[in-house]
Amino acid sequence: MTKSPLSLLIQFDDQVRRDQAQSPVFLHRRDRKFALTSAASGQTPGPRQWLDHLHSLSPPTSSSARPLAHWRTLAVGFSLAGAVLGVLTMLGLLFYDGGQQINVTMILAFIALQLMLAVLTTAQSMLGWRPWGRLVSWLNARGSGGAERPALTRLQPALMAGCAHLGGLMFGLTGGLTLLYLVVVQDLAFGWSSTLAAGAGAYHHFVELISTPWHSLWPAAVPSADLVRDSRFFRIATTSTLAPGRWGDWWPFLALAWICYVVIPRAVLLVLARIQLSVQARRLLRQHPGLAALLYRMETPALETGNGDADATDTPDLTTHRRALPLPVSPVRIHWAGANAAMSWPEPPGEDGMLVLAAGGSATLAEDRQALQQARFRLANERTPTVTVVTQAWQPPTGELADFLVDARQAWPERTLIALVPVGAGPRGAEPSHLGQWLRFVDRLQTPSIQLCQPDSPTSAGDEVRASEASHD
Amino acid sequence: MTEVPLFAVVGHPNKGKSSVVATLSQNDAIAIALEPGTTRQRQTYPLSVDGEVLYRLVDTPGFQRPRRVLAWLEAHSLSATDHADTVIAFLNQYRDSDLFTDECELLMPLMDGAGIIYVVDGSVPYSAEHEAEMTILRWTGRPSLALINSIGPDDYAPAWQAALGQFFQVVRRFDAVRAPFEHHLGLLKAFGQLEPAWEPALEQAVHYLAAQREQRQWQAAELIAAALADMMAWQERRTVPAGTTSLAATDPVAQDLRQRWYQHQRQREQSLRLAVENLYQHRRIQRQEPELTWHHEHDLFSERSRRLWGVSRGYLAAAGFGAGALGGVGLDALTLGSSLGAGALIGGLVGAAGSVFYGDRLAQSLWRRGPLKEGLQTIRFGPVQDAQFGYIVLGRAVDHWWHISQRNHAGQAPLDLAPHDSHWLTELARGPRQELQRLFNKTWKNKTLEPAERHRLAAVITEVMTAYQTWRLNPD
Repeated sequence: MTKSPLSLLIQFDDQVRRDQAQSPVFLHRRDRKFALTSAASGQTPGPRQWLDHLHSLSPPTSSSARPLAHWRTLAVGFSLAGAVLGVLTMLGLLFYDGGQQINVTMILAFIALQLMLAVLTTAQSMLGWRPWGRLVSWLNARGSGGAERPALTRLQPALMAGCAHLGGLMFGLTGGLTLLYLVVVQDLAFGWSSTLAAGAGAYHHFVELISTPWHSLWPAAVPSADLVRDSRFFRIATTSTLAPGRWGDWWPFLALAWICYVVIPRAVLLVLARIQLSVQARRLLRQHPGLAALLYRMETPALETGNGDADATDTPDLTTHRRALPLPVSPVRIHWAGANAAMSWPEPPGEDGMLVLAAGGSATLAEDRQALQQARFRLANERTPTVTVVTQAWQPPTGELADFLVDARQAWPERTLIALVPVGAGPRGAEPSHLGQWLRFVDRLQTPSIQLCQPDSPTSAGDEVRASEASHD
Repeated sequence: MTEVPLFAVVGHPNKGKSSVVATLSQNDAIAIALEPGTTRQRQTYPLSVDGEVLYRLVDTPGFQRPRRVLAWLEAHSLSATDHADTVIAFLNQYRDSDLFTDECELLMPLMDGAGIIYVVDGSVPYSAEHEAEMTILRWTGRPSLALINSIGPDDYAPAWQAALGQFFQVVRRFDAVRAPFEHHLGLLKAFGQLEPAWEPALEQAVHYLAAQREQRQWQAAELIAAALADMMAWQERRTVPAGTTSLAATDPVAQDLRQRWYQHQRQREQSLRLAVENLYQHRRIQRQEPELTWHHEHDLFSERSRRLWGVSRGYLAAAGFGAGALGGVGLDALTLGSSLGAGALIGGLVGAAGSVFYGDRLAQSLWRRGPLKEGLQTIRFGPVQDAQFGYIVLGRAVDHWWHISQRNHAGQAPLDLAPHDSHWLTELARGPRQELQRLFNKTWKNKTLEPAERHRLAAVITEVMTAYQTWRLNPD
């Protein structure tokens, strides 16, 4: 699809704006893939190809065409106004009521004014002066329902010059056509007059100078010295020396002067405005911050570090209503996986005659089984069988411990209370932050006879367990 | 085709495996510190360049029953030559069973050819119970590396180092939360050294990651430049019937306009924060920042911010002199030097005077009244007439950028942008200082920065970032 530089700039700007809602990672991946595909097919990717590629996947939205549509409407408005004004102006200039002749000097002055306006319009556009800029921005903003885009704001002088020259060209064309029409259907009487004491010779020289462009092409359209001398008129003079049949001889000169100094300059300057617009649009596209970013994304390998997966929200429930209970008096203590109670548990209750065993960690599974059996023998004669299992608080409870506790409940008397006691690495005792995982571990076991205990907890483990068992019964 | 290097991050539950993966894959959405014993599946995190995978990291659940696994393996093995086959047999037997779910999940990638990254917590004492895990890993026969990741404040790393050295080819310390970026790259290189065939892919990955790091700094500078230009040129306006507002502090129209201006500036600053965080792939950061709607001692417009991030009048005068002199040199050039440097001097003096004059005008009125038209008048608030404002926004933005760029994705602590007493601008060279001042001068004169000037502003900000880093290394 062929796009003018202007529509390319507008569509590019529009796409860059829409891309702002996308993540940088996605944009990089998308554009890098396009660049690699283009390179594989031997193409050099640029903004034009990039837009074509994106539009082939999803057509451009109507919002991208909206800013240009406003300018097109403005251009049509200028054209219509120019066409109507051209007709009206020429009718006014050539108004002839049968009294005095139509003054050629007046028409030439008007042509000069038109030429000057055309040149000023171009100069203003080249200099970037926008005396009407706010009005145009306001009109465009009203039309598009938002502020005008900066990319388009910088093109306002060239766009406005294009509209003005188009209006001027239509003005010249309809004015010229009106002149020819009036020449055909009316009997126009031209003459020249001036307050200045200019002689006929000087005036002839002046009109010859004006006729230079068509002098050799159409000599008959250059007023002769006789015509100039004889067609001068004075307002208070009542008679003319010129034969009435020659009063209309000025029209070829006037028609060509109109074409050469009103229509053609406007047409040329309109083309210039279009060229200027294209050049500026290309320059703005080159300087567009989005283009630098696009080129960066296309040139730089897309590095993905594997951050697509997200499971942080899929976390288990960490709440528990369980509290640590005080240590019960127990005849058996098992140190699990190298846990040592001595550091943080200076005066364990019921130490006399206590059976101390080791399991887990570096012990073998056979040694675990042996520890279970030894404890079973000791608990056989106890009225309220209780076992303390000491663990390292900082280590998370594992499946191996859960298996050990299941085996223990099968091996030991049915009413055995198991007090799980996580201890810290030093004299500080277990860190409160470590206890949570142990409380939840006991929750998951769903066995009332297994309780979490700490040396300095306020209530009695035995009481709580028995209350719990009573409620289960 | 060479097989893509695969690394299984394994270990005891809750010893920082996910933290290591989160930091290396720049993914702050990985669940860290999951409840131990909760069944999890392994997750794969590939690093790819243009769709070509350079390596894969696999985050696995921790060992739950290592002694039972080892007992099974020992019971089914005749000699050391069949160890790897015995592990495969174990997987074949239990892959569909509930008993060894976690072990199967973590051993599966190893049997698919993964290298072992065994993670331990160096802040807790060494325990012999880990030996069963390490023995199982040794049975797989895969290349292995042990990482000592310290989660807590204590240090038992030497004991760990001695024990791990008996089981693993390489033992390294790596703090997943605090390790600087260079350590990430060093660790990846170490991964590559486990197997000669993996080295090129890992070297390539290191190269691309380093390049990405540099590019991100430039992109962050561009984001900051765009925000700075927007904020310094921002203006709120409203057209009201003439004489209906006095622009006094208690006037409701004036109050509303002023509040909208302040609100916009705060929101623009916040959007910059988010953009920089997204650039570095931090999407879950909790920032400890004041509410947007009222003044706070660390707010954008607070006096404390002005003291911390603003610059002295002497600095403004010096930078303004330099910026003015740059303009004045043009006059000297026009006179082909016959002005004997007077242009530079005059430009410098004008610049210095202007900078000092405009240097403390945030508190002054930003009100402008437009011409009266048909009984209506447009009142405007802004743009800011204060060079300090630019330095405050820039200082805060660069400070935030630095924290984000240094932050590992395993970090879960809230981001606290604590202020410092000394000033980072002292590290900035004279050239960038003057260029910065010149660009600030332009924005507060309500001139839009051209794309080329924005580019220059971004370039100066990269130098500011470098100066800030230097200052951070040596804040006194």
